Amino acid sequence: MSNTELPKGARPEEQITTDPSRAAQRMRAGSMTLTMLPWIVAAILLAMLPYIFTSNSALTIMNQMWITVVFALAYNMLLGQGGMLSFGHAVYAGVGGFACMHIMNMSDFFASFPLPVLPVFGGLFGMGLALIVGSFSTRNAGTVFAMISLGVGELIAACSVIIVAFFGGEEGISGDRTYAMPFFGNEFLQQINVYYLTAFWMLLSAGLMYLWSRTPVGRMANAVRDNPERAEFLGYSARWVRFFSFVASGFFAGVSGALFAINYEILTEENLNTASSGVILLVTFLGGVGFFFGPIIGAIVFTLVQTVLSLQTELWAFYAGTLFVLTVMFFPGGLAGLLMMHVPAFRLGKAGGLIVPYLKTLLPGAIGVLAVCGLVEMVFHVRHASTGDHEMTLFWTTFDSHAILPWVIFIGVAVIGLGIARTTAPALRDAWNEANTAGGSA
Amino acid sequence: MSVPALELIGLKKSFGKAEIIRGIDLSIGKAERHAIIGPNGAGKSTLFNLITARFPPTAGTVKLHGEDLAGLQPFQINRKGLSRSFQITNIFPAMTVFENVRCALLWAQGYKYSFWNLVNRSRDLTEGAEKILDQINLLERRDLPAGTLSYAEQRALEIGITIAGGADVIMLDEPTAGMSHSETDYITDLIMKVTEGKTLVMVEHDMGLWPCGPDFRPGLRRDHRHWRAR
Repeated sequence: MSNTELPKGARPEEQITTDPSRAAQRMRAGSMTLTMLPWIVAAILLAMLPYIFTSNSALTIMNQMWITVVFALAYNMLLGQGGMLSFGHAVYAGVGGFACMHIMNMSDFFASFPLPVLPVFGGLFGMGLALIVGSFSTRNAGTVFAMISLGVGELIAACSVIIVAFFGGEEGISGDRTYAMPFFGNEFLQQINVYYLTAFWMLLSAGLMYLWSRTPVGRMANAVRDNPERAEFLGYSARWVRFFSFVASGFFAGVSGALFAINYEILTEENLNTASSGVILLVTFLGGVGFFFGPIIGAIVFTLVQTVLSLQTELWAFYAGTLFVLTVMFFPGGLAGLLMMHVPAFRLGKAGGLIVPYLKTLLPGAIGVLAVCGLVEMVFHVRHASTGDHEMTLFWTTFDSHAILPWVIFIGVAVIGLGIARTTAPALRDAWNEANTAGGSA
Repeated sequence: MSVPALELIGLKKSFGKAEIIRGIDLSIGKAERHAIIGPNGAGKSTLFNLITARFPPTAGTVKLHGEDLAGLQPFQINRKGLSRSFQITNIFPAMTVFENVRCALLWAQGYKYSFWNLVNRSRDLTEGAEKILDQINLLERRDLPAGTLSYAEQRALEIGITIAGGADVIMLDEPTAGMSHSETDYITDLIMKVTEGKTLVMVEHDMGLWPCGPDFRPGLRRDHRHWRAR
């Protein structure tokens, strides 16, 4: 419709305000249920998981997962939403955690409130540090911010052996969570109690961080990430917007540190160092920085690799690193981006047509990749097992790693598997194009 | 006499030894619409960037509604009621068209750095953004990422972002640059429509394609790198 034709008196907006507002109301009502649904599902799932995975080690793994989820989401407030690449974000989690350890050791104070309140203190200490560092580091995004974050991260990690009173030197600081005021008679003696505490705080933090992304300052963080100069000409100081994101991110990083303190009852230099900061970057990127839920996927996948896979192989870090490099090179949107790529096909109702081509390509491909991993494991075994130890167990079979036959089999399976995947890949590509085209022959 | 919306007094700018702008005195009244015309390299964009504090002037003063703008940051100038577009399209490409406009409304509607309001709960924001989208004919493109729009649509969106905050002084830097004839017609109509009753200062390479009504007159002319009001 052309509004230029309208006479001067009749403002075009008067014509349209009713319609869009109704549409907007509809949309708002619809999005309310739609946005609440995943949270309710998540809450039910979190409550039920301990009944499915009952062992203590499963609880420990899940706790580790939720701690990483909080930290990764906090990190993504900077990286994905604010466009700030930090190489030293572990210090905010670490300082929050150390502060909580000290609170645990102040027995009178610690006994005056129940344990589930402790993460608030972790958050406040993380936020306090972020207030100080953010006041100068958020002046710029990009390289300057990244370098300052690295420098500050190194500085504080180095302090851990210098300021022994706070960081406890090489042994770190340990404490006992059970000295808190009992929470409805609960002293958090058992892993399951800690599980629910951690899960509750994870859900709460994730919800708050999601809401943050819907606030004016959260929206402007995106705008500043995309185009700081334009944002300035909309009345917003890019620096202040970055600063607020940074402080909020520091708070939630601190919460994750507190959850770590509650779970492990010890913090060391490892919680502060660049390696930990690197891991959280890796986790977040692997999950996908472009979507809010990306870091959650990243945290779950990475924790599984770190815990479950590390029980199977000493080379887990190698596989995690390979996964990261492949993600950066081929799927910069991360796992979340990979999932969301399929949304158009679902909208068109054509996702079903992808199942068979996917199976035809991914199944042989996966077998081929597993065979390649098998070869890697065999090379590792031949090089690193003690002399005379020729026996290795892989994929539930035990064989002689120095014999020819296993090598021939693994090479054969790898070549055949990857070969089949290669020949069926064009069909998958066609199916993909077909599934993403509206109308057509289907 | 009322205070002019925008006043330049003896404005000068040199980059090293090159004197780009050698003293401009110009006064633009409220609700007047001006175009600054000149060939490439005449210093039009430099002048523009001086007014909007992208660079500091070597000498001279810029006054907005009688108030000196010296030393203010771009966001502070914007809050005083001056909004600008850029020569190279300057939008938020990864955000949707709707969000682009909504961001432009946030400060004007008083949200500041709020983290206790939810943007999708505010009727004023949604309706305001939709009103602007309708004015710039992009209502149908509402939910597309802004980076996927056509060039002319992106320029229209940028004009939408520029006017959305309700600034009364609008500055557009070559809004029709790189456009075909029909696109130029579209954008010039749009600009005339949305800047009605506002002070408009526009930089253009040439005005050949503009529907030059009585409103529009070349405000400045380049004369041996010396700018003078006509």
